[in-house]
This record gives sequence, C-alpha cells and structure tokens, in this order.
Amino acid sequence: MAVIAAPREHAGDRRRMTFARRQALWGYLMVLPVSLILLGLVAYPFCYAIFISFTSRVVGDPGEWVGFANFRYLWGWSSFTRALQNTVTMVVVSDLLKLVIGLGLALLLNEPLKGRGIFRAVVLLPWAMPGFVAFLVWKLLLTPIGGGVNLVLTETGLHGGIIDWLGQRSTAMPAVIAATVWRGFPFWCISFLAALQNVPGELYEAAKIDGASAWRRFLDVTLPAIRSVILVVVLLSSIWTANSFENIWIMTQGGPSDATMVFPVLAYFGMQSQRLGEAAAVSVALVPALLVLVFVMTTLIKDDD
Amino acid sequence: MARERAFSRRRLVGGTAGGAAAVALGGGLGVSRLQEALAARTAPAVIQGTTKLTYWGGLIFSDAANEMLEAKINEWGKANNVETEVVMINQNETSQKVSAAVESGTMPDALDLGLDLLLLLSTTEQLVPLDELYEKIGGAQGGWFEAIAGATDPSLLGGARTGIPFGSTGNVLFRRIDVLEPAGFTEAPATWEELREQAEAAQAEPLFGLGLALSNVGDGNLQVSVLQSFGGRIADDAGKRVTIKSEETRAYLEWVSSAYEAGLFPPGATTWDGAGDNTAYLSGQAVFIANPGSVYLALLEDDPELAEQTGFSTLPAGPAGLVSPTQPNVRAISANSQNPDAAMALIDTLADPAFMEEYYKVAIYGPVLKNQLPFEIFKGPVHAGLADLVQNGTAPAEPDTYNAAYAEFNTNFLVPKMVQRVVVDGYDFDRAMDEAQQQGQAIYDKYP
Repeated sequence: MAVIAAPREHAGDRRRMTFARRQALWGYLMVLPVSLILLGLVAYPFCYAIFISFTSRVVGDPGEWVGFANFRYLWGWSSFTRALQNTVTMVVVSDLLKLVIGLGLALLLNEPLKGRGIFRAVVLLPWAMPGFVAFLVWKLLLTPIGGGVNLVLTETGLHGGIIDWLGQRSTAMPAVIAATVWRGFPFWCISFLAALQNVPGELYEAAKIDGASAWRRFLDVTLPAIRSVILVVVLLSSIWTANSFENIWIMTQGGPSDATMVFPVLAYFGMQSQRLGEAAAVSVALVPALLVLVFVMTTLIKDDD
Repeated sequence: MARERAFSRRRLVGGTAGGAAAVALGGGLGVSRLQEALAARTAPAVIQGTTKLTYWGGLIFSDAANEMLEAKINEWGKANNVETEVVMINQNETSQKVSAAVESGTMPDALDLGLDLLLLLSTTEQLVPLDELYEKIGGAQGGWFEAIAGATDPSLLGGARTGIPFGSTGNVLFRRIDVLEPAGFTEAPATWEELREQAEAAQAEPLFGLGLALSNVGDGNLQVSVLQSFGGRIADDAGKRVTIKSEETRAYLEWVSSAYEAGLFPPGATTWDGAGDNTAYLSGQAVFIANPGSVYLALLEDDPELAEQTGFSTLPAGPAGLVSPTQPNVRAISANSQNPDAAMALIDTLADPAFMEEYYKVAIYGPVLKNQLPFEIFKGPVHAGLADLVQNGTAPAEPDTYNAAYAEFNTNFLVPKMVQRVVVDGYDFDRAMDEAQQQGQAIYDKYP
C-alpha cells in the first residue's frame, strides 16, 4: 500500500507545485506589459541620454565615443558652474518657501473656518493655471515700465523710480523664485492638508490634557504625523524645480548675464547649437545630484515606515 | 535611381520652361489668371505618382503671407494631383523641430530654413543638392544678388547648393522722426556715435534712446555687427583662432557700456525676448530700434500715426565702416524625402515671379533675384531698405569668416553676454573680453 500511496502523494505535490508555478507565471505575465512600457519609456531614454552624453553626436551625425570630453568642456564653461549654483539655490530656497507657505496655509485651512471650501479652491488656482500663462503674467507684473509691481510701489509712495526686476542680478533670481513659489505652493498645501486630515484628533486631545502648548502640539504631534508626506512632497518638488524650464525661459531666458541660468535652459541652448552630446551631458550632469536626493529621501521615508 | 532622378529633372526643366514661356507670353493676362494657368499646368508623370508631400513653412508675423504660402502650396497640389500637407512652424523653433525630426527620421519633404540651419543640415548631408534648380531660377529671373549667391555658395555648404533663396533679411534702423526733428536731427544717424548723440538728445523717460536688445536672443546678436563695425573680430581670416580680445573690441565695449550707464537703453533690455524691441517701439519706449521689418507690419495695423512718424535707414557705420549683414531664407528638400522631384517642382512653382510679387507685398522680405527689384513693393519705406540692404549690405559674418564655429558662437550669444558681463556684473573690459575669448576659442576648437 505504502508503495502505491507514495507515488500518489508525490503526484499531488507536483500538481500543487505546478499550480503555484502557474500562479507565479501568471503574475509575471500580468506585470510584463507595464514592465516593458517602463523599460521602453523610462529606462531606455534615460540610458540612451547617458550614452549620448559620452559621444560627439550632433543632429544628423551619430558622432563617436568621446569619453568625458563633453563633461570636461562643460566644466570649463562659466555658465555651467553658474547653472549648478543657480539650480541648487533655486531648489533649496523654493522648497523652503513652499514648505513654510504650504504648511502654514494647510494648517489654517484645516481649522473650521467660515468659507473654508472656497479658500481651499482658491488656493489651488495657481497650480491649476497653465505654467506658461502663470509665468507670462509674472513677467508682465514685473515689467519695469507699466508693470503692476512697479505701479503699486510708485502709487503707494514706497519707491519712486523704475525697478528693473528681471534685468538686475540682485533681483532677477529672487523674482523668478517668487513666481516659482507662487505657482508651486498649492501642491504642497493640498498635500499637507490631506495629511493633516488623517491625523487622529485623539492625539491632540491627549497632548492638551498633558498641558502641551499649541507649538508643542505642532512639533510633537502634527510634524511627526505628516513627516512622510513632507518627505515625498520635498522629493517630488525638488525634482520638478530642478528640471523646470518654462519659469526661467519665459521670464529671463537665463539672464541677465547668467544670473538665472539653470540646467534645463543650458541644455536648451545646447540643443539650439544642434550639439546633442553636449546638451545631453548638461542634463546628465544633474542626475547624480538628483540620485543622491532620491536616495536620501527614500531612506528617510523607509525609516518612517 | 540616379537615372530616374536625371530623367525626372529633365521633365521638370521642360515643364517649368513651358511655365516660364507662359509667363512671358502672358504679359497681358491678369495676375490671377496667370497664376491659375500656372497652377493648372500638367504635371510630369513622376509627380502624379507622389505620395503625400509635407511642407514646413516658416511662420512670419504676417498672417496674410502665411496664408498665401499655404494656399499656393495646396493649390499646386490640387492642380498636380498631389496630396499636400503644410505645417507652419514658428521660426524661433525651427531649429528644435528640425533637430527632433532629423533624429527621429520624420523630416518633411521640403521646408523653409534660415542660413545657420541650412549650413548645419548641408554639412551633415541632410539636404538634396539643388544646383540645377538654383541655376534655372536664377537664369530665368535676371540672376541672384551677389550677397545671396555668396551666402549659399557651395564651398560653405558641403559642395552643393542645397537651398533655393526666397527672401532676404537684415536689420533696418527705425527712428522716431516726431521726437528727433524737434531735437534738431532731420537726418538719420550715419555712425554709432551719431546714433548715441541723437538718442541722448531725444530721450525723455519713459521714452528711451536705444531700443537695442542686449539679451540672449537673436536680436541681441545685432551687437556682433556693431562690434565688427568698430573693427572688432570674432576670429581670424582662417576662421580658426578667436581674436575677440582686441583694442577695437575695447572701443566697442566703451561705446555700449557708456550708453548703458547713461540710461539710454530701456530697462529690461538685458533680458528681452525676441519681441522686446518690437514691444518697446510700439509702446513708445524707444527712439531707435533695429529690426528686420516686423515692427513695420504691426505699426501699419495698430498705430498708423506712429508708422507715419517713423523714419527708416540703414544701420549706422562704425570707425571701421558699415557692417550690415543680409542673409537669405531658403527653401530646401530633405534627403529623406520620398518625393524629391515633386518637392523640386513645388519649389520651382513657389519661385514664380507673379506669386512672389504678391507675396512680398504682405511679407517682410527683401528681394533675392535681380528681376524682383522693380516690384512696386520695393519702393515702400521698409522694403526699399531691405532692397538696398541686399545690394549694399555685407555678407553674413563679414568681415569674419562664416562657418559652423561662427554660427555656434552666435547661437551661444557670446557677444551680448560679454556686454552683460560689463553692464550687469560690473566686469572690467579685460575680464569680460578674456571670458569671451576663452569660451569662443573653446567653441572654435571643436571644429578642426
């Protein structure tokens, strides 16, 4: 009997293994289309751009492998080092301002205010507006003669002369950052608001009973509760800001001099010269910094989990 | 394949010669009847088998001109039983769109191009040689102007004529007569120093004297011509060694920076986009601007009074003479075109004198062929300036050597950037020139 039973058991195992394998295979098949799309649309262009950055490729000519020549050329280019500084400045300052404004407004809109729904909708307007329209409006507002900002300053007597907001090194970058923050803070605000609404009210009540002040409740309850959302928003927004083109291009085209030159605009100038290898090198040069940012942020998010 | 091409070209020449004869015989016909007759001309058999023909036209400020070009191409397609698709491309974006099309293998059959892009595409063999068509059109219409022929010379373009010029461009100086005459200036300034003198005398904020772009846009490269008229050079005669650091460049920087410090440039001139000077002049913020003519079209439509009060003249000269470059816009055929013969026939049709006479009336271009000079439109104020420019202006890059390095030097706006270093960043002249010299040489070194 045992001799007969054993093969039966073995056959049952094989059937179960086959079933498990079939299930696994089915799973792989289900994710295959998405994986292929990701490979085709994300990984391939990314790797190809890196490859091109090591070639002398120009439009219509595949060029040849030149090693780090494009990067050496860029490193000697004053606009490149300036773009590096400007991109970092823009990302850090914009993120800080968006964090303060976004979080402040989110805390405010999380309170039971009258007309809260309308305020929440209004806050979203800059984000809903097409970027090029928003930055064109800012450019018009900052126009030296007839621009809204100078008119207000003149009419209120705060400043009598013409301020060339976008034409001076001292004001160009702050002006562009102001426009970028205005356009971007709603995303931060709405993300934080959504996170705040998920913080259990009992935590605040317990903190109150323990005698915690509003500031302590913010530090010890609110911030830890929305920390992971803050990290994700900082990560996304930093990448978007570092890669943003239309704000600079529409308002200053990287000028005056190279006061507002950033990587995407520099890459665009490379494209105008048809030198694809150099243009790709400009973009690729930013990748290590972004990878570090992604690594740090994802580690922090993982720690939260 | 080559035989087929030769055969079809003969057919093409034959067909178009018939068309030319029709033009000659049709002197008594009205223009529209003549155009109908030309369009209805029987197409060579090879054209009738053509698949869809795509044309990228260069979008200009005149809607009428854009529509006329599109209508003419479609009319030709209908008459020749060829499906046509016309896409009008903003000329500021042609470079990017063409780059993407070349890389993705989706170039149109034919397209309008500026000289820099023509140079690049020709040297990388992206365009069909059009020497025969160039000779035929030139021969039938009195010959090409010297400046136009020189700019499209095969020695510059990889050994062949790869573009058929259809309009010349260059800068004309616009000036506000209504404010200059009361200030005692009845004549256009002959030199840059005179220009500054007049601008200073006529300036009354918010009206500024010099509406010249100093920013990182094409208009900013007018400063290259100013620099050259002061005797400065981008590179040596061989077009290899950058020579921008010189006493002549110093003299130019002295001129431009002192005018800037005197407040003669409107605020924002260092960050203007391509429409900056247009806007400044139209809104009454500039006494002088230099412009290819698009402002004139806007003036006629939006402010005829200001148009009447505007005087037009050639650019002023510097201590080293007049540098006022003129260059052609051309029509070209992609090497990847499936319909090169049909595209050639189309370009030939678009060079038809009757069509071009009507086209020039609504487009801001100067003539390219000597027989076009008597057209009535070239007696008008701006058009007369453009016609003068094509006869007396300087060749592209002159006194420098026009080559790919020179084109890239200007694509990077190194001269306006050098000026910005001085007027925005406060660099001294030597430091600004050193930087331009070093960056310029780095560009030139890429082209052995």
